[in-house]
Amino acid sequence: MKSYAQPIKRLIAELAKLPGIGEKTAARLANYILRATPEDVEKLAESLVEVKRKIRLCRICLNPTEEEVCHICGNPARDQHVICVVEEPDALAAIEESGVFHGLYHVLHGALAPLDGIGPENLRLGELSRRISEGRIQELILATNPNVHGEATALLITRMFKDADIRITRIAMGVPMGGDLKYVDKMTISKSMEFRRGM
Amino acid sequence: MSARETHKTAGFVLRSLQYGESDLIVTFYTREFGKIKGIAKGAKRSRKRFANVFEPFSLTQIIFSRRNRDSLAFIDACDILDHFAAIRMDLEKTLTASYFIDLAEHFSPEGKRNDGVFALLLDFLPLLTRENVSEPIIRFFEMRLLKAAGFEPELAACVRCKTPVANGSPYYFFPKEGGIFCTACARPQRYDQSISAGAVRTLLLGKDMDLEKMKMISMTESLASESRSILCGFISYVLGREVQSLKVLEQVRRYCP
Repeated sequence: MKSYAQPIKRLIAELAKLPGIGEKTAARLANYILRATPEDVEKLAESLVEVKRKIRLCRICLNPTEEEVCHICGNPARDQHVICVVEEPDALAAIEESGVFHGLYHVLHGALAPLDGIGPENLRLGELSRRISEGRIQELILATNPNVHGEATALLITRMFKDADIRITRIAMGVPMGGDLKYVDKMTISKSMEFRRGM
Repeated sequence: MSARETHKTAGFVLRSLQYGESDLIVTFYTREFGKIKGIAKGAKRSRKRFANVFEPFSLTQIIFSRRNRDSLAFIDACDILDHFAAIRMDLEKTLTASYFIDLAEHFSPEGKRNDGVFALLLDFLPLLTRENVSEPIIRFFEMRLLKAAGFEPELAACVRCKTPVANGSPYYFFPKEGGIFCTACARPQRYDQSISAGAVRTLLLGKDMDLEKMKMISMTESLASESRSILCGFISYVLGREVQSLKVLEQVRRYCP
């Protein structure tokens, strides 16, 4: 790093703050940016500033969006009676990619993590309570991650709304499609037996 | 350059921390080596080698190598011995198990073997799978952990005059003194909260009581509150900080009773 000019050092230091980018990768990216045309670099810089300036959370589901209400919540063709609860926006994106779900979402922006001090007050549960109290929701699909934190979050939400007149469901767990049973871990196998279905 | 030594041991997963894009730094409480930290390369993306093995409070069999006692271990393999499914299916049990491992982590210096702490986890986590969470189970775990870690509070007699605990008179617990004072020695101020001899006796009972008999113990609300205040206050004092998982446990109980 010593041999680089100050502005390049600064660029490398900033890029190295990104997840998964070490100093060497940051130096490689900085060299690419140095060689790129001024127009390309301007586009990159503008997109970085724009994403920070324009993106906010949807008033309803808390998914990052450009508008006050995201394109999913604002689409009247979506099923307005079903909410799929996810931990993070990337989980929402993964479900949307599958194209099988046509209801609405709710992004919690985290999961219950007792060891890290993340409790219910750190999750966006108040907004979910408000949506349910409006009375239109008939089903809540809990699509939190299938690990201890996600499971605990799903149990918490179930406990919170056990008296509400809604159906609460949990996404299925089991063997992945195209997988090979002999490579599947014990816990996933046991879950797949637990959640087996009739043919 | 010293050669890497490979070890195989049973260990509870205490915590895992993401490191870089796909690695995890995992803290275990092991039978032979006490608390150790190791890096599991590629664990985040692993579908075969490390799938589902680094979940908090799971009991695992790990194979790791390291250059010396002070260096970060390299986790070569990890197999689940028990993932305590019954705990994971119950919110209260998950939060309690998290509290237990949080305490075990806080009270264990790295690399110091302590058979008492390992045995405690080996007793209380399976107990949680069989029994519902109760105030006595949590308080007795705290008592036994403090004892195993060398911080057992003096509850059998007044710290100053050494008079054994007797029914009827109230006592005062002073974390700084590490135990209880009788009324005569305590010279209590208005804000000092007294504790009953009953609460003190119950905690003493739970220190060595047979695990299976624990379910027969019940605490009244006031007894539970006194015991909680003594032990949680003492733990915070010893650690010099609040225990995060306890805060979350209490937050959840307030949030949805």
